[in-house]
Amino acid sequence: MKVLIVEDEIELLIGVSNYLTKEKYTCELAENFEKANYKLSIYEYDIILLDITLPDGNGIELLKSIKKNNIHAGIIIISAKSSLDDKINGLDLGADDYMTKPFQLSELNSRIKAVLRRRKYEGDNILIFNEIILNTDSKEVNINNKPITLTKKEYDMLLYFIINKNRVLTKEAIAEHLWDDNIDLSDNYDFIYTHLNNIRRKIKSKGGTDYIKTIYGMGYKFTE
Amino acid sequence: MKFLTKINRQYLITISILLLFVSVIGYFVLKTILTDEIKEDIFQKEYAIINEIKTQNNTPNIYPIIETKLISKNMIKPKSYKEIFIFDKTENENEPYLEYTNTVKINNKYYLIRLRHSLIEADDLIIAISLPLLLLLVLTLTILFFTTKKINKTVWKDFEENLKAIENFSFNKLNNLKLKQTNIQEFDRLNKTLTTLTKKLTTDYNTLKEFTENASHEIQTPISIILLNLEEILQQDLQEKTFKQLVTTINAVKRLSNLNKSLLLLSKIENKQYIADNKVLINNNIKKKINELSPLINSKGIRIHNKFNGDFFININSELADVLLNNLLFNAINHNIYNGNIYIEIHENELTICNTGSENSLTNKTIFNRFSKENSKSYGLGLAIVKQICNTHNMQITYKKDEFHCFILKIVK
Repeated sequence: MKVLIVEDEIELLIGVSNYLTKEKYTCELAENFEKANYKLSIYEYDIILLDITLPDGNGIELLKSIKKNNIHAGIIIISAKSSLDDKINGLDLGADDYMTKPFQLSELNSRIKAVLRRRKYEGDNILIFNEIILNTDSKEVNINNKPITLTKKEYDMLLYFIINKNRVLTKEAIAEHLWDDNIDLSDNYDFIYTHLNNIRRKIKSKGGTDYIKTIYGMGYKFTE
Repeated sequence: MKFLTKINRQYLITISILLLFVSVIGYFVLKTILTDEIKEDIFQKEYAIINEIKTQNNTPNIYPIIETKLISKNMIKPKSYKEIFIFDKTENENEPYLEYTNTVKINNKYYLIRLRHSLIEADDLIIAISLPLLLLLVLTLTILFFTTKKINKTVWKDFEENLKAIENFSFNKLNNLKLKQTNIQEFDRLNKTLTTLTKKLTTDYNTLKEFTENASHEIQTPISIILLNLEEILQQDLQEKTFKQLVTTINAVKRLSNLNKSLLLLSKIENKQYIADNKVLINNNIKKKINELSPLINSKGIRIHNKFNGDFFININSELADVLLNNLLFNAINHNIYNGNIYIEIHENELTICNTGSENSLTNKTIFNRFSKENSKSYGLGLAIVKQICNTHNMQITYKKDEFHCFILKIVK
């Protein structure tokens, strides 16, 4: 999967690129409008991460030009602005998703995967982790070929874990993924335990292994 | 008081005082003139009577106007005037008379001449003066009233239109304040001043707005870099102590970012950057919100009790409506007890959200202030944002503690 990252903040650009390279993506970097425009004119990408505020132009203009030139890449806007108007504007212009800074890398990965799935880049939309098989089209989960029924939040959580496997996730990061910005005001994450325990119980009931490891009571890791 | 009413009232008072003054003076002037006339008439009569006595040796007497008689030398009196009243049988009332008394010496004999002339009654005189003046007053005021009304229609029309334009002026709307030329020097001067002033204010407002937004946005970028690096460090094999310190740091950075977002939101509401372009039915939105928050509500074992007695509509930006209900409900959940209750009641133009919670009442005065908080985990901005939304949308939020903690949201009429 080829990703173009358009971001004027070099530190952020390198950070995101390092992470995505580790996740087996091929990354190209552009720190300004002109460079991004040039790269788009000669290479093809599967995903474009687009910052709105660039030193020599506006990301929205780049988005318009991408759409005008029929470039078939999934586009995720990464903006410092969190207003709904900007979000709606970006999505109306053909972006696939809109993220606000600051974001977490695990969340970014999850969003990229979602865009790719929607665009049918990964073939049959089946995620497999040992005995766990997740069908992202039908949202069905099978353990050892036996189906289990998960609630929407439980399904979202399991999917998030599998996409970010072998990665330490704080419970706040999980809560934010499930709840968007709403969780900002909450001071209790008890419901996370409830969801987690339900998932564990349901997987075990079909003879599956509990892959969710608790790390020092503050984080989780989905790993063998 | 309207300008026109004020002017008319001033006219009425001034003209009334003036006319009163004029009528008092008129009364005395007229009285003096009339008395002088009467005195002249009396002198002519006296002359005729003296002649009559000289030539005919006859003392004429006609009651009550002429009285002459022969008197002895020691009864001589000086010339005098006085006003007296004499009963008039025909009119059955006392009539005023001017009485003239004089003694004259004719052919070495002394005669007393007393002449009386009826005066015009004082009330008759007052009526004679005030009636035309009163008529003048009514006539003047009527003419003035209609003239000012007509002037008002033409001259004030432009002024009224401009006033409407100023009333509807908002910094949010992109168009500048446009005022109509009135061709009246004072109004045009006012228009010019207002146009200059609003132009300057708009520029200042936009500069400040841009600064606040840019500052807030710029802060998010370094925060992104901090979070990104911390998240990567978190993936390494860490000691428990380091791991916990790191997670605490990540959460603190996130709090900083959220705090920044909330303050930006607050300033945007304050600057009225959210245009109330939607008619939101709170009944529906609150149902949606409860559904959305149900995992959070369930995890605390909280039961929700709804009572919808009417439709509550608010003219508000839909994003703000979401924030409003979100903050109120989160408040009711976060400050609730395990297995507690939330009571939601909606009437027309009123929403009440009550929750079980601590026994102590919150301080009514500071509860809606920024950074007023009960525990260290909340930002203390949620209710401040609610308050600010209410302030900018003709609503009122009040807190009450009886059995439960209650927040009442009301449209102010």
